[in-house]
Amino acid sequence: MSSERRAAELFAHYRQDIYTRTDRLFAGLMVLQWIAGIVFAVWVSPLAWSGATSRTHLHVWAAVILGGLIALFPATLALVRPGVPATRYTIAAAQMLMGALLIHLTGGRIETHFHVFGSLAFLAFYRDWRVLVPATIVVAADHFLRGLFWPQSVYGALVASQWRWVEHAAWVFFEDIFLVVSCLRSVAEMRQRAERTAALEQEVRIRQQAERGASLTAAVGLALTRGTESQVMFQECAEALVAHLDGAFAGIWTLDESEAWLEPLAAAGANRPAGGTGPRTRVGEGTIGAIARDRAPRLACGADVDRGEDGRDWTRCEGVAAFAGYPLLLHGKLIGVLAVFAHQEFSPPALDALAAVADGVALGIDRTRAEREVARYTRDLEQAHDLQRQHAEQLSTLVDQLRVTQKQAEAATRAKSDFLASMSHELRTPLNAIILYSELLQEEAADRAQTESIPDLQRIQGSGKHLLELINGILDLSKIEAGKMTLSLEQIDVKSMVAEVFDTLGPILRQKNNTVTVRCSPDLDLMYADLMKTRQILVNLLSNAAKFTRDGAITLEVSPVTFDGTPAVAFTIADTGVGMTADQTARIFDPFTQADVTTTRKYGGTGLGLAIVSRFCQLMGGRVSVQSAPGQGSRFTVLLPILVLDAAGEPTAAA
Amino acid sequence: MPQDIAPAGLPAQARRWLMPLLVAVWIGGCAAGLWILWDWDNRPGVSAQARAQWPADSALGRERGRPTLVMLVHPQCTCSRASLSELAELLARATPRPKTFVLFLKPAAFADGWEQTALWRTAAGLPGVTVIRDVEGREAARFGAATSGQTFLYDARGGLLFSGGITGARAHAGDNAGRQAVVTLLNGTGGPAAPRTSVFGCSLFDRGGRRTF
Repeated sequence: MSSERRAAELFAHYRQDIYTRTDRLFAGLMVLQWIAGIVFAVWVSPLAWSGATSRTHLHVWAAVILGGLIALFPATLALVRPGVPATRYTIAAAQMLMGALLIHLTGGRIETHFHVFGSLAFLAFYRDWRVLVPATIVVAADHFLRGLFWPQSVYGALVASQWRWVEHAAWVFFEDIFLVVSCLRSVAEMRQRAERTAALEQEVRIRQQAERGASLTAAVGLALTRGTESQVMFQECAEALVAHLDGAFAGIWTLDESEAWLEPLAAAGANRPAGGTGPRTRVGEGTIGAIARDRAPRLACGADVDRGEDGRDWTRCEGVAAFAGYPLLLHGKLIGVLAVFAHQEFSPPALDALAAVADGVALGIDRTRAEREVARYTRDLEQAHDLQRQHAEQLSTLVDQLRVTQKQAEAATRAKSDFLASMSHELRTPLNAIILYSELLQEEAADRAQTESIPDLQRIQGSGKHLLELINGILDLSKIEAGKMTLSLEQIDVKSMVAEVFDTLGPILRQKNNTVTVRCSPDLDLMYADLMKTRQILVNLLSNAAKFTRDGAITLEVSPVTFDGTPAVAFTIADTGVGMTADQTARIFDPFTQADVTTTRKYGGTGLGLAIVSRFCQLMGGRVSVQSAPGQGSRFTVLLPILVLDAAGEPTAAA
Repeated sequence: MPQDIAPAGLPAQARRWLMPLLVAVWIGGCAAGLWILWDWDNRPGVSAQARAQWPADSALGRERGRPTLVMLVHPQCTCSRASLSELAELLARATPRPKTFVLFLKPAAFADGWEQTALWRTAAGLPGVTVIRDVEGREAARFGAATSGQTFLYDARGGLLFSGGITGARAHAGDNAGRQAVVTLLNGTGGPAAPRTSVFGCSLFDRGGRRTF
């Protein structure tokens, strides 16, 4: 109800209350005046005389009968029909008639005429200036008629002007002016009071509604945050809606996975189905379904409330006056519907609270779903955790076993290396003696011209050198694997080293009709590395190139590069030999490995050369790589830092 | 909600007209009652058979050389209170003041003191007024008075100047033609427009003029 409407209602109430109370006041006054008139008549003029005989004075009869007639009819109306306009107009006329009677009874005393003016003022208690009209008419009519028929009784003259009654009535009208002004002002004040009261009531109502909205929000918030079971939680929400919004029914529906049906989640109020939340609703059907379809709130009040196809007799029986339904949206996605049927219209604060509750319930539904998902994930995770723990235990067991095996393997490797190192050392001494004596025997055989024994001696010497080479390789490899290989770092003149290597290997490189090319960058001067190992790297790679190249070209390029951010020297040995497949290049740096098993037979070698090259490169902080293709030769690139550091990370002092 | 004054059994049309009808009857009754009252108040009593000269058989002593005013009053007539009030007003305004007698009727059937009512005391309290008991209304008869409040004014030579009442209506004080006429006559400011006026009061004698005392 608007403030203006309420003010009008209050104003009408105040006015009606004044009418009623004043009617009852006059009812008492009428009876009192009647009784007073009788008492006065009996006291002042009880008898009329004719000589010695007397009879009841006419004034007594007038006081009793006429006074009763004047007083009792309006008094009865005031009691039976208080507040009705006809009642107070009758009272106004009666009051003036009573005045006329009393004036007569008092013998026309001028003092009694004040009764007329007092009565007019008394009638102003009604705050209705219209009551003065019949009162004034009665006074004017009294003077007019008496002036017309008994002028002496009212004007003191046997003959008077026919307009003299106007003069008397004018005095009454004169008082009427003030009383009318007083009535109008009083009514205006009454209206102002009604407006102030209505405004105050409106303010109080808004405050109460805001408090109810806040308490609703708090109750729902408490239910949503405190609840652990979703069914109980949302049931509490529905009951809070009914309790705080004077609801007849409140329901919450959730959209199922097919998004075609709304499943009832909770319901409270008069129309709640016994023992449940009611049937599900198809999206788009009915008011609830329409809210889900449109994803927009719906509000209705009074006759606009949807009564449904069945007329929803319960809404009439329950006195439902308003409906509000909200879609439950989360990030713009519909997850359900919330609706309330209430006994009274929703105030703006109540609707604000309802919208907030809809948001809260949407979040609550999402939270419960998330909690269900989390619970399911937690169960899965716990199962996975158990499985992982079992696997970890198994893995730990395996690691322990592996660690034991590794220690055993390392011990075996060290034992093997120690064995190989010691055995190789023990083997090299007699082997050198065999090679040396076989060479001496060749010289003696040549001197004695015993040429038939020279090839055998050469085979002995060759086998011995091959064996020595093999043993040296094994020895180096063993040292490396045993961690006993150390670097002997020194300043190296790269060009001199390269020239020396070529002087040594020149015949071998050219013996299969190969062309040999050496390109050494002029920017290269010195490097700091292990000279013997660097030279061994170049010798091994060039020997390999010579071994697998016939009628081709062998090239050595030496150039400065940057390797892992540090200055380095790149040694590139390229040949046009047989080349290798990708599988072969992948295994080429493993010990005792050659391109294939036929290589050893066809080209000779121990299978340790490239393994030693790789280990030496790693030992000096460098790297070796190969690019090769079958029939297209091979290209080995060795990268060594210009400044090689020892194991302590510092350059060793120059030798 | 105001209750309906009409009985529940009445037809709707009758109920609609009942209230205006009741009001009309009530107004008519009140008007009739007031009409009767006003008519009674303004109905004069029996006028006096006034003598043109001071009654020679009167026991009252007329003072020679100045006017004499005589008022006859029924001591129980409440209407005559207004007559005495007007007499007081009259005497206050009159110059010269007349010798004044107020005679109170005293029927023989009543004990002495019956006549000494409030009216007696009021009259006795008026300055220059002589209050006399008129036993059995003999003086009233001599002057020809029949109604309480009857007033006579005689000049210094005993000639009748005025006969009538000095109130405008029964028991009504206030300006009236009788009082005005007497004052005018006494003050010598002109002749009375109506030397005879109506008298309003109780009858001094029983109906039909029969003396009961």
